[in-house]
Amino acid sequence: MNKTVNINLAGIFFHIDEDAFTKLQHYLDAIKRSLSSSQGQEEIIADIEARIAELFSEKTKTDRQVISIREVEEVIAIMGQPEDYMLDEEIFEDETTYARSKTNGKQLFRDTDHSYVGGVSSGLGHYLGIQAIWVRLLWIILTLASSGAFILIYIALWIFVPEAKTTADKLSMRGEAVNITNIERKIREGFDDVSGKVRSVDYEKYGNQARTGASSAAKGVGSGIFFLLNIFVKLIGILILLIAGTTLIGLFIALFTVGTFGIIDAPWTDYIEMAGIGAPLWTISLLTFFAVGIPFFFLFILGLKILVRKLKSIGTPAKLVLLGLWLLSIIGLAVLGIKQATLRAFEGEVVTTEILPITSQDTLYLAMKYNPDYSSGAYKTDLKLKFDEKDNKIMYSTDVRLVVKSTKDSTGRIEIIKTADGSDYKDAKQRAENIRYNTSFLGNELFLDSYFTANLNDHYRDQEVRVVVYLPEGSTLYADENISSFNRSSDYYGNILNYDQEGNYLKISENSTLCESCPQTESDNWDEDSWDNEDEFDGTIDFEGGDSTDNVKIRINGKGININKDETNKIRISRDGIEIQKN
Amino acid sequence: MNIENTKAQMRKGVLEYCILSVLRDNDAYVAEILETLKDAKLLVVEGTIYPLLTRLKNAGLLNYRWEESTGGPPRKYYGLTDTGKDFLKELTHTWDELQTAVAIVTTQKNKNHE
Repeated sequence: MNKTVNINLAGIFFHIDEDAFTKLQHYLDAIKRSLSSSQGQEEIIADIEARIAELFSEKTKTDRQVISIREVEEVIAIMGQPEDYMLDEEIFEDETTYARSKTNGKQLFRDTDHSYVGGVSSGLGHYLGIQAIWVRLLWIILTLASSGAFILIYIALWIFVPEAKTTADKLSMRGEAVNITNIERKIREGFDDVSGKVRSVDYEKYGNQARTGASSAAKGVGSGIFFLLNIFVKLIGILILLIAGTTLIGLFIALFTVGTFGIIDAPWTDYIEMAGIGAPLWTISLLTFFAVGIPFFFLFILGLKILVRKLKSIGTPAKLVLLGLWLLSIIGLAVLGIKQATLRAFEGEVVTTEILPITSQDTLYLAMKYNPDYSSGAYKTDLKLKFDEKDNKIMYSTDVRLVVKSTKDSTGRIEIIKTADGSDYKDAKQRAENIRYNTSFLGNELFLDSYFTANLNDHYRDQEVRVVVYLPEGSTLYADENISSFNRSSDYYGNILNYDQEGNYLKISENSTLCESCPQTESDNWDEDSWDNEDEFDGTIDFEGGDSTDNVKIRINGKGININKDETNKIRISRDGIEIQKN
Repeated sequence: MNIENTKAQMRKGVLEYCILSVLRDNDAYVAEILETLKDAKLLVVEGTIYPLLTRLKNAGLLNYRWEESTGGPPRKYYGLTDTGKDFLKELTHTWDELQTAVAIVTTQKNKNHE
């Protein structure tokens, strides 16, 4: 029993067995491929079909008779094999171009017939003329060596290198000439099981390729230069591919570790959390990923296009989608940026004043109170995230400025100025008020916190604290050494406490300080007392060395050793210890 | 060198001349042309003729008209154009020359061998 198919051959209706139909279709396809379209392929096929219909009509006695495979074979015997349809000049050409075209037109395809994953390795193997097993080994080694990054390149090749679908593709993948004999052979080998697959063979194109291949062999010198140029272009392609590839891989890793899962506690995650941009972290990560990644993706394709000649395009819709996605990401980031800027448009300030019971006769000891939990990091002005004693997330900063001023009042005072930015004045002021900052006064010692804290939901809005200490004229200030990094000796703030005056007793006068125990005075005294009094010296050795600009005096005697460079730079070694003075 | 190929080439070389000759006196459709050629054992399989006919027609040597047939599909009746007739005359002349030349060469060869 056999299934039959109804066919219309040159306008005549036939019943035909399915296997006979397949055979007939194969036959007609093969003829079609043996004819190039310039010869009037369509017309010839129509003539042939008409002749076959005529032969079938002669063979069928009644309308109900079915054409079997036997009739088809008889007709093929009468009509001849596909090669018989070739015209003479093609036969001549075949013999000369077959051998040459073998080395020509080898193209990169994925060999899905011999694939483990995507057929990339076996395709590359055909292309490079080596066994696929070596290519696979190389992939494994490179993947292990690059800790998995090469998988992405494999996937990219999988996507963009076309699959060898048609017989012609498979032949050019192996570098074999695309001609009727080879195609027939492949079909007989069972390469193709469905007849429809071979139809996409563009026979004429390969015919032309073979012809140009033959003529280009004559232009040996020209092709040599072309070859070198080709290698150069390919190298550029590889370079682009590598740059874009590594960037993409880096972005992927960044997106999936930091952005989404928060595996790594990167510094910018804290910042984004504090900034209160109004979008969750993963949104910002994704937007950044698209905004940066898509241009590099196109670069990647460009590199690939240079390397793989017959690269499958990702298609216009995909390109437009990517472009749209990129524009949206850019717009999204811009909107967030503008929003962030408006959130800081206004600056608010809150000033609290406390009385400092210091009169003109008193001495004030001023020091910073450090808390190891809130110590400064690399950047003083940065806000940092932290869990407080109650495990609430809070922000803290060591951006505290200290300013000392004189006052004509009888007692001193402290002004604590807290500032912050906000979307309006009220918001900014509220935020400034929320800053927590403490001072303590005990006896005549004033301790200032070296840090301030704020709630996380106040977000990062340039919070700052400035402490202004007003001291009555005539009082004495002893500033601890530890305030030096908070002390802003700046005219803008009207600070009268200069650098390097810490650790000394300072007399406060109108808008200035007078140093009572500064090293200059001390060293002068020491100079007069011990250096110039030569009467006391016993068994003294003096050196006076150096030239006119670098005058060093060394004196060794019973009191010790003195090395003097000038008035302010000297070393003195005595039984009291070693004293080094440096300007 | 493939002997079958050489044989086919020799046959195909004169095939165009023969087709034109068949059509010299009266128009014919493909089956009739084929019959004449097959009887003369010039053609083994039919397939060869179709590309040739189309080529001759495209070169303006042949033209055709459709005629209904009783049993099968409509038939293409081929005939010579004026260009075709001139072409045929030219070919006949060349063929005669060639025949003489080949005859001289091949008989000469035989004499040498004897």
